[in-house]
Amino acid sequence: MNPAEVRWIRADLRARRVQALLAVLAVTGIVTALITAATLLEDGTNPWRGLFERGNGAHVWIHTKDAPDPATLRTLNGVADLAGPYRSAPATLSQEGKKTPVALRETPAVPPSVGRPLMREGRWLDPRDPRGVVVERSFARALGLRPGGPFSVVGLNGATHTLTVAGTAESGDQGFYPEWAPGLVWTLPQTLAQVEPKVARSESVTGLRLADPDATALVAQRAITKLAGQVQRVSTWHEVRASMELDNRLLGVLLGLFGAAGLVAAVLAIANATGGRILSQRRDIATLKSLGFTRRQVVRMLVVEHGSLGLLGIALGVLCGRLITVYALAETVVVPLSSAPLLGIAFGTALVVLVAVWLPAWRGGRTPPLPAAAAPPRGHLSRAARLAFLVRLPPALVLGARDAFTRRLPALLTAFGLAIPMMMITIGLGYWATLDDFRDRPEQVGQAAALTVRPGMMTSEDAHRVALADPDVVAAFPGTEVDALVPGQTRTVRARALGTVSDPYPFAVVEGRLFRDRGEAVAGQGLLDLLNVRVGDRTRLTIGGTPLIVRIVGRVLEPEQDGEVLSVALDSLAPKDAVPPQFYGLVLREGADPGAVRSRLQGEALEVSQAVSLADRLSVIRVIIVALVVVLALIGLANLLTASALGLRDHALDLAVLKAMGLTPRQVMATLVTGTGLLVVLGVGAGAAAGALVSSGLIDLQGAASGIGAGIGRAPAPLTLLLAVLVAVGAALLVALIPARKAARARIPVTPR
Amino acid sequence: MRLQLLALLAKEPAHGYELKQALEQIFGDAYPSPNIGQIYVTLGRLEKDGLVRSVDVEQSNRPNKKVYFCTAEGREALLEWVDEPTEGPRVRDEFFMKLVLAPMTGIADRMALINRQRRHYLGIMRDLVELAQRTDQDNRPAQLLIEGAMLHLQADLDWLERCQEDLA
Amino acid sequence: MSMVSTPPALRTVNLVKIYQTGGLPVPAVRGVDLTVRPGEFVAVMGPSGSGKSTLVHMLGGLDTRTSGEIWVEGTRADTLGESAWALLRRQKIGFVFQFFNLVDNMTVADNVELPALLVGASPKHARERRDYLLGELGLSGKADAAPAQLSGGEQQRVALARALANQPQVLLADEPTGNLDSRNTKDVLRLLGEVHRQGQTIVLVTHDARVAGLADRVVTLLDGQIVDDGAVLSARRRPKSGAGDVVELRG
Repeated sequence: MNPAEVRWIRADLRARRVQALLAVLAVTGIVTALITAATLLEDGTNPWRGLFERGNGAHVWIHTKDAPDPATLRTLNGVADLAGPYRSAPATLSQEGKKTPVALRETPAVPPSVGRPLMREGRWLDPRDPRGVVVERSFARALGLRPGGPFSVVGLNGATHTLTVAGTAESGDQGFYPEWAPGLVWTLPQTLAQVEPKVARSESVTGLRLADPDATALVAQRAITKLAGQVQRVSTWHEVRASMELDNRLLGVLLGLFGAAGLVAAVLAIANATGGRILSQRRDIATLKSLGFTRRQVVRMLVVEHGSLGLLGIALGVLCGRLITVYALAETVVVPLSSAPLLGIAFGTALVVLVAVWLPAWRGGRTPPLPAAAAPPRGHLSRAARLAFLVRLPPALVLGARDAFTRRLPALLTAFGLAIPMMMITIGLGYWATLDDFRDRPEQVGQAAALTVRPGMMTSEDAHRVALADPDVVAAFPGTEVDALVPGQTRTVRARALGTVSDPYPFAVVEGRLFRDRGEAVAGQGLLDLLNVRVGDRTRLTIGGTPLIVRIVGRVLEPEQDGEVLSVALDSLAPKDAVPPQFYGLVLREGADPGAVRSRLQGEALEVSQAVSLADRLSVIRVIIVALVVVLALIGLANLLTASALGLRDHALDLAVLKAMGLTPRQVMATLVTGTGLLVVLGVGAGAAAGALVSSGLIDLQGAASGIGAGIGRAPAPLTLLLAVLVAVGAALLVALIPARKAARARIPVTPR
Repeated sequence: MRLQLLALLAKEPAHGYELKQALEQIFGDAYPSPNIGQIYVTLGRLEKDGLVRSVDVEQSNRPNKKVYFCTAEGREALLEWVDEPTEGPRVRDEFFMKLVLAPMTGIADRMALINRQRRHYLGIMRDLVELAQRTDQDNRPAQLLIEGAMLHLQADLDWLERCQEDLA
Repeated sequence: MSMVSTPPALRTVNLVKIYQTGGLPVPAVRGVDLTVRPGEFVAVMGPSGSGKSTLVHMLGGLDTRTSGEIWVEGTRADTLGESAWALLRRQKIGFVFQFFNLVDNMTVADNVELPALLVGASPKHARERRDYLLGELGLSGKADAAPAQLSGGEQQRVALARALANQPQVLLADEPTGNLDSRNTKDVLRLLGEVHRQGQTIVLVTHDARVAGLADRVVTLLDGQIVDDGAVLSARRRPKSGAGDVVELRG
């Protein structure tokens, strides 16, 4: 870089601090949003990686009868470090008459370096308080245990011990409860010895931290061979990860879409800002060229100036993204984004920013070196404007309308630059409405049963009776879930028998109809895709060895298992599979609180689980929508400022003439505001319309892709949309008003350009 | 020169040589230096017309000098002069005659005539520019006089341009 | 003898410029042969539309020629590309425009230092040169001002300082006083006369006879062709006319 170029860049940046700041902020916002979204997605769908990283987890856990010789394991090829061996003993946790199996594992008072549990609440083990234990968090939650709270465990010898929860912790070596059972409790060695004095009734667990995670199978095999005959069970990180993974494709697709659209909007904003700035600088550029700047120098200078703003924004965005994930989202996010997506986002946006900057810079570089030739174009009255004059519209409106389209391409780009953020905001509102719908009307997405009860110790008839006795329970549908083998697939799918032909469960049928007879079934989109069948087709499944031929008569919205669920009536199954029903799906009275009903039924010694609302599962979307709306509004603002600055510059001379012709300052202001305002109305209107049109379709598309199936999409409520449009236009006009007011009041010298 | 001298005398009485000095000081190089004899002749005529009068003032070891002063009639004549609008300059018709007539006789080419005339004007302009630079910047009357001449010359040059565009 | 060996500062051979306006060819310059010797001050005059601005723009490479040759210091320049012209310009040619064309965002000091920095001078050297030039042009106190804070005359003096920053072989000016009042014109004239006396080659388009009066030579264009080209001699050498006759002259 020539020092002359540097000098010019510095001067230009100084002259437009606010604009530059906005450009940086827009990019920062987008990158921050992208990183936050990607982090949430990565973390939400796979918390294992973070837990494992932070806890320095062991890749392989070996359960043996007796403690193996650590030295032997340590010498194994590929083993970097060891955790344990620790003694572990089974016990029963007794809580209000309910008994839950639990594994007690001894752990040193100093947290170990390998396989270290990550404290979430409370404190770690303390030798001065041998009763204090640390409970695995998901287990503690499932049981309602809190730090400081006492609970009893019953050893195999029948003795009851009261322990207190010192804290809760998470671990990448242990899956979440209840997928990974029994629940885990870390205790001091002496506590364990107290609960289970007999060494013979306990086992020993040893964790191997490997140098190369890919060699897991090999090393595990070596260890088994080495400890010939002693090994009872081996678990690897693959299993733990698989148990934690939440396959949330809907969220992924959604975030990807918003990220891409945000990026497009940011590109437009940058291209507009850069283009507008360069357009207004053509004279200066021509002057520089007359001084001996080459085309390449000009292009380089412009790319560096505007590109560095973008890159600064990216750097800040990466920083903000990190800070947000580390501090603001410390509760939800375990580790920051892994480097691949982070680099992807950083380099992707950098590339996109540079292209967006390079195009206008390239055009700027082609400016002829003659300063006089670089004058702005003149607007002329269009036929529409003349007509407007004829029908006696206020002159300010007509002149403003003329101004708005003097430069066709920038005008179009400005409108477009506003339309895209508005469209995305509208789509965001659509998602919001969809989520509201999930929450308010779960029956419409296949979650009619808010609670599921399992008989537990009772007979199923008793359970049915007890459940129905609750005043808030309207209906209880008997159900069973079995694994079904599908033809041509080596894997099983979930077959759910719920309700009967005569009393069918209120499935959310969106295509076809509900089963009316035995041998008829409804399925989620995911299953239809998996089997490559359509509504109306027949398919053959094998359930518990019994073949079952069903005709799929309808498609339902299926939030479970990525939609890979086949639902039939209970009487369609062979009696051995169907009787007695495994559970009852409870439909509650409208307005009833599922939590309250749940605890009441739990009091009756029923096993009750509450359906997780899709809205709760996707609640992170709301955070993202709010963040995106802010960022998109920022981008729109940047676009707007560019447009009004350009309009002002283009028409500075005209304004002097208009004033001379006798327009009052107010009319001049109105002219300017109309010029920008028309583009705003055009952009915002088009964006909102497009957003409203595509929003529900888009959500359905994503629903279909994620397996739930089309039919979930909701357009934003007309009132919400109208309000959003009004707010957008109003804010835009307000923003346009400030410079216009200033310009209208200022004495504009008639200077040659 | 009559009225210029009358004006100076209306300001204060003076003798001939003082008047010459005053003229030179006010107008500087921009004005042709007045001849002292001419000044005395003019003063004599003014006295004869009753516009000025003179008194002899005695000087030690030198001949008496004649100091002139303005009379009431003189003042009236001066007022009349000031009140009257001054005629504007006329186009230099001699060159225009050449320009129109000479080509008819085939002696000269119009383009050459115009070019020669332009160079002459530019030569004068060059002298004026030099003169302006030589002249004291604070002497406003002199500077204005030179500027006036320059502007007239500029007008003549513009007119030449018009002639060249239309006639050539 | 040096006159023979030194190449002309500028030379054009049958230079032609034809604009295409709405598909119609509009000739602006029609075969101009012009030679400017080093140290010469040439004024280009002519009515508006005679092609004089186009001519200087082509001489500085700001506009492309349609045909003909341009030589700068004995090097053929009309065949150069845009970038090569830019390089040539930054070293050998200084430009002054009617509307000053200072970079608004930069201070006066930055404007003047820009060309020196562009040819790779050290910031220190650029600053020294700027101090010297602004001092010479009576603008020392304005170094940190923005161009918009200056009067037209001051802006044009800054533009002149910028054009002279790299001690160019040729100073090209397009109506440098066209936008100034008479007092500012006088200042700019004085400066032009001074740099010319120091040996600066100047080619200047003007409508102002006072500016042209400073030149050694006046070239008159009419319809894109040279109709007159000759030295301006002091009128005093002619009999019966001189500065002393100013008043009579206007008779």
